[in-house]
Amino acid sequence: MVSTVIAEEQEVGGCRLLLDQIRPAIHAHLDDPVIETFGLTIGFGNEPVLSGVDLPVARHQITAIVGPSGSGKTTFLRSLNRMNDKLRGFRRSGRVELEGQDIYGAGVDPLVVRKRVGMVFQRPNPFPMSIRDNVLAGVKVHKMVPRAALADVAETRLAEVGLWPAVAGRLSDSPYRLSGGQQQLLCLARALAVAPDVLLLDEPTSSLDPVSTEAVEALLLRLAAKVSMVIVTHNLAQARRIADQVAFFCEGRLIEAGPTEAVFESPKRRETGKYLQGQFG
Amino acid sequence: MAQEAPGAGGKRPLEGRGRSLRVLRALLGAAAGVPALALAAMVAVLLVEAMPAIRYNGLGLFTSGLWSIGSLYSQPVRTGGVLHLVGAHYGALWLIVGTVESSALALLIGFPVAYGAAVIIAERLPRPLAASLGLCLEVLAGIPSVVIGLWGVLVLGPFLAHDIYPELAKLPDVPVLDFFRGGVGSGEGLLTAGLVLALMIIPIIAATSRDLLRQVPRAPKEGAAALGMTRRETFKAVQSRWIRSGVAGAAVLGLGRALGETIAVALVSGSQIQNPSNIYDTMTTIAATVVQQLDSALTDPSHLAVRSLAEVALVLLLITLAVNSLARLLVRRSARDVALPVGAGL
Repeated sequence: MVSTVIAEEQEVGGCRLLLDQIRPAIHAHLDDPVIETFGLTIGFGNEPVLSGVDLPVARHQITAIVGPSGSGKTTFLRSLNRMNDKLRGFRRSGRVELEGQDIYGAGVDPLVVRKRVGMVFQRPNPFPMSIRDNVLAGVKVHKMVPRAALADVAETRLAEVGLWPAVAGRLSDSPYRLSGGQQQLLCLARALAVAPDVLLLDEPTSSLDPVSTEAVEALLLRLAAKVSMVIVTHNLAQARRIADQVAFFCEGRLIEAGPTEAVFESPKRRETGKYLQGQFG
Repeated sequence: MAQEAPGAGGKRPLEGRGRSLRVLRALLGAAAGVPALALAAMVAVLLVEAMPAIRYNGLGLFTSGLWSIGSLYSQPVRTGGVLHLVGAHYGALWLIVGTVESSALALLIGFPVAYGAAVIIAERLPRPLAASLGLCLEVLAGIPSVVIGLWGVLVLGPFLAHDIYPELAKLPDVPVLDFFRGGVGSGEGLLTAGLVLALMIIPIIAATSRDLLRQVPRAPKEGAAALGMTRRETFKAVQSRWIRSGVAGAAVLGLGRALGETIAVALVSGSQIQNPSNIYDTMTTIAATVVQQLDSALTDPSHLAVRSLAEVALVLLLITLAVNSLARLLVRRSARDVALPVGAGL
């Protein structure tokens, strides 16, 4: 009698127990993924964080990464543009292919990878320079357009994220005077300005109010036609609203991935169902 | 003391700890007023002390380079109500020029070295090495200026005069480099003073800049890396701008120290009240003159010599205040487009 109770509690507390017998993940097969990982395993020092993740990322769609805290979502995301490289004790095996090329392969410049695979962070992180210079920071560094065209680029990118009307008259102002939501849109404009193929978003709305969150979500939906996106989110409702594909991570493993509707409506793994119903997190 | 039971209230006094808070507030207010009062008192005392000299010297203080106490064997005479020795003439032009020149040289030489050192220590070196270099900076900052001055006059000066200045003096014959040609002297002079002052302000500027660099948050740096920026580009976009106003503050702090530094300059400047003919020539500064002339000034029965020293001290104080205000203005302007805490480090 007593032992049953303990077993149930452990089961509710996470997915460790259920993972005792490791079963292969439920894959989503995609015909033409923009990024695909093969057996991606990552650790920091002796701490394993991700093990054997095989996940294709759909082209021109939004892929949401969901899962409880500590499940390796952010580590996975950051490994897609080599942002983990400099972290202490970083170890990796397996491959990450961008358009069929291994981004960890010999001779690959991580800076080139990051120019093609952009990133937006949990908290807005504008640079300490004017709003205009923030948008143009990457464009200038990579010398993407002639000097004379810079003003146009700034306007186009700010308009693209819907920030132009709010900042048109104060492009030389500090970005730190904008609201949190506006700052995050500015960071999106900055990331989009270097014309990435893929955009990685690490809980981009977790520090924003509901109205700003809605603005960012609407923007992501608009952008999906041009840019492939991977978004880490703790907000399951958000994943359901905007994602085409969902991947569920737990304890450093990919448990299940597939079209959003399918994963939410009829999860194939018991852990997925339990997490999506809010039984653990 | 008997414990009060909760709810046993009845009619009890409702006054709180208002009085002790008022006392605390008064004490804190007094403490906060000390710097302002001290500054005002200093200006007032200098002004009163210098008043006869201000009347006697007039604008000549700024236009003349001749500093003469007059004939100590004469009877003091009165001109315009001010008692003075016959032939007394106080022109501080070369003191002011020397002060500004040596401090500007110090900043010109010291700032790039200090900033570079801070960047390397904070951004490039592995932790243990950075820590030991940082310790060196702190030790350097703690060396008494008289020790640095002695080293300057006994070791650095002769070395420079023998091995470095003769080479510098061979610079190409271009008009802008005129200041570097001519006799190199014995190693006591403007450039040596500038170098010694630079050595004294480097630790302040470097340690402050290093601490500021360490406080730059990770988020914008990661943002720059995620745009595909190199470390150098990231530094230019994020760190250098983030710390800009603080570094300007540190530079002014250093400049303030250089302007007011006394004993080291007195030892290595050559102590000649004159306009240096080239960068190696002997000169002096306001602070060095005050300390070196005070003894003989006290022998002046008219007291005008001491009062004139008070007047140049007042000028030095005003120069320092002006430099500080100017720096604050610049910092505020540069901070406007980033809206970082204005004047951090000032």
